[in-house]
Amino acid sequence: MDEKIIEFENVTMFYDADDEEGNKAPIPALSNVDFSVEKGEFVAVLGHNGSGKSTLAKLCNAIYEPNSGVVRVKGIVADDDEKADEVRRIVGMVFQNPDNQIVATIVEDDVAFGPENLGVEPSEIRRRVDEALEAVNMYKYRHREPHKLSGGQKQRVAIAGVLAMQTECIVLDEPTAMLDPVGREEVMQTVHRMNKEMGITVVLITHFMDEAVKADRVVVMDSGRVVMQGKPREIFSRVEELRSHGLDVPQSTELCHILGYGEGVLNVDECVEMITEKLGGAR
Amino acid sequence: MNYAIETIGLTHYYSKGTPHQVAAISDVNLRINKGELVGIIGHTGSGKSTLISHFNGLLKPDSGKVLVDGVDIHKDKETLRNTRFKVGLCFQYPEYQLFEETVYKDIAFGPKNMKLSDAEIKERVIRAADFVGVKREHLNQSPFDLSGGEKRRVAIAGVMSMEPEILIFDEPAAGLDPKGRKDLIKLIADYRKQTGSTVIVVSHSMEDIASMADRVVVVNDSSIAMQGTVDEVYSRGEELRAMGLNVPEITEIFAKLRAKGFDVPANVYTVDQGAEIIRSLSKGRCAE
Amino acid sequence: MIRDITIGQYYPGKSLLHKVDPRMKLILTFAIIIVIFLCKNFFSLGVIAVTAVVASALSKVPAKMILKSLKPIVIILIFTAILNVFYTQGGATWFEWKFIKITEKGVFTAIFTMVRIISLVLISSLLTYTTTPTMLTDALERVLSPLKVFKIKVHTLAMMMTLALRFIPTLIEEIDRIMNAQKARGADLETGGLIERAKALVPIFVPLMVSSFRRAYELAFAMTCRCYTGGEGRTRMKQMKLSLLDFFALFACIAITAGIIVLNHFFTAVI
Repeated sequence: MDEKIIEFENVTMFYDADDEEGNKAPIPALSNVDFSVEKGEFVAVLGHNGSGKSTLAKLCNAIYEPNSGVVRVKGIVADDDEKADEVRRIVGMVFQNPDNQIVATIVEDDVAFGPENLGVEPSEIRRRVDEALEAVNMYKYRHREPHKLSGGQKQRVAIAGVLAMQTECIVLDEPTAMLDPVGREEVMQTVHRMNKEMGITVVLITHFMDEAVKADRVVVMDSGRVVMQGKPREIFSRVEELRSHGLDVPQSTELCHILGYGEGVLNVDECVEMITEKLGGAR
Repeated sequence: MNYAIETIGLTHYYSKGTPHQVAAISDVNLRINKGELVGIIGHTGSGKSTLISHFNGLLKPDSGKVLVDGVDIHKDKETLRNTRFKVGLCFQYPEYQLFEETVYKDIAFGPKNMKLSDAEIKERVIRAADFVGVKREHLNQSPFDLSGGEKRRVAIAGVMSMEPEILIFDEPAAGLDPKGRKDLIKLIADYRKQTGSTVIVVSHSMEDIASMADRVVVVNDSSIAMQGTVDEVYSRGEELRAMGLNVPEITEIFAKLRAKGFDVPANVYTVDQGAEIIRSLSKGRCAE
Repeated sequence: MIRDITIGQYYPGKSLLHKVDPRMKLILTFAIIIVIFLCKNFFSLGVIAVTAVVASALSKVPAKMILKSLKPIVIILIFTAILNVFYTQGGATWFEWKFIKITEKGVFTAIFTMVRIISLVLISSLLTYTTTPTMLTDALERVLSPLKVFKIKVHTLAMMMTLALRFIPTLIEEIDRIMNAQKARGADLETGGLIERAKALVPIFVPLMVSSFRRAYELAFAMTCRCYTGGEGRTRMKQMKLSLLDFFALFACIAITAGIIVLNHFFTAVI
């Protein structure tokens, strides 16, 4: 059996009155969620704003503690500070706003921040920082000041910061929501490369359908519950159901759906192929 | 008739007078007709934000002119001040500009600065709030107690309540989920329909622009690279891609179909339009 | 755009002074400042003045920039000069008119004080010209780390300084953004009396506070996620190592100090 890296068992989570979103509480942010991620997997978590997907992310590395149920990271339950620290050495996190997660005034110092906190040997930190910056294609910017970088570049620095901690899993909480198309592309390519080449488990929280299409598995959330789960092809073939959860499908999928050409078409090439086939080739 | 906005040789530099001087926009000649919905696209750093900041006089051109309804907005102080009310500008993430104790007061901020009567202010606030779908009972709440999407609506109402003749949106849907995005685009299209005002939408989402704009202006390398109807601009997919812009997926599908030898148009940019074309193509073939 | 703002007055370069270990620079600057106050006559002060000039030359920072650092103290200089001239009396009288009396001692003291202040400013600004704020913060943390014994949270202070340096540009951009947004809603920030202007700042100040708190909150999350638990058990990637150059600088400073003590001893004091 594959090794489970993150495991949620019947997790329920309430926000106190007046949380950061300003909701009057207690509103269940998550209710009875069972969810797991296997080692090496690329899981996309979809859901509209306020569906609970961000809460899910924050539970993955022990920022929040569940009100009931259990969250295990490689079998560890973060019920005290020490264990929470252990969990954070396994699961790293990248947030939405690139500005609010960069700590240092120089790119390479920021990447070094995590390993420094872990008490890693200086020469080893140097090696890891250089490697991490190479991996996200930001090495030549290592002496720059973060506020002079583009959004996509900042996010890649944040990813490098997690890589340098050598976590096995990375949770990205809407990493591209504030970026332009170019920045989004940069970040997504980096994330996929990490997953494929370095074997890092990825949990990608997003509301961009085209990002979810390329995942191994898609989890759809609505009102604090996991409402759909499966391979992208399965999920995106249920167009109406997705819509009812406030989500959308890629245009390729939608076109074939409207035409009644079949479901689960995921990208441009598949769509072109499908149309060609249905029309009996070009004439 | 005058243009809603006309720029003549508009040029603006960053870090003017230093060795780092760069043109943010150079020699832009642009005309926007009254009542038009114009989409401005361009990647980050192309100069599109600098361009729109000139439209209501937030930035002063280093050379060239901006005419609003035929009048140079930098003619005198009075004109400049009035331009702020004539040309509404709704920035990216407008919810971060909220500051008042209540939603009502925040929406009323603009009209108050216009020195309108209390009765008039009230009327406008309610009109704007109703239009964006802010519930009446929320008017006396603190804007900070609302959800993210609601905050954005309040902020947009705060600009709409000035009832400007020209309304500019900078990335109005940034950070919203698919449904929020769709709703907002519909809201903007409705606003134009209902008020007949001139609307300018800046975005890097070509899908969004395609679904509402009458005319598209593409900004690249600090000047206008293309302009025309959605049809005219979107059919130049290769050029757009070279400028770092993503053409809508559906446009790409049809470009590929054409490449395969199908007799389909290149200017397809909405899914419904695409479905229609494929259907008629398939019907035609069945009839043969 | 205000993207290109830099904090502090660091002048990028590769001069000898740039290369000296920031800790050494910090300590030596501090030491020299104390020594400046030990100077009792023009000979010893001369040594300091020459040191300041030589160090400035060594830093390769353009003279124009260095002189700029003196600009803010011009008023202080004039003020102290006047005070000294009129209030220090002694020696030969050079000028007398009604109650104004300028004496030899007064003039000498004035000149002495001015040179002292100028040297002081020159030497301390050389530190900031040749060391980035980040390096300074780092050096400060390391130099002051023995204070841990007295339960002073040196690391926390340094971390706060680093974060401040990191977020100042971000917040300046934010202020610019908010100001533009409110101006677009017709906010008048330029005219009116003091109270009106203060009132006009509310629409800027409130969103800025709200967003700063949000940032602080998110930043705290992000730092926790990266296993930050304070200074305990932390290592540093950049080790500071003393080189030959640093010892050279140290000996130069010791020599200067010794010279000054000797000169103080052999010549009469001005003050």
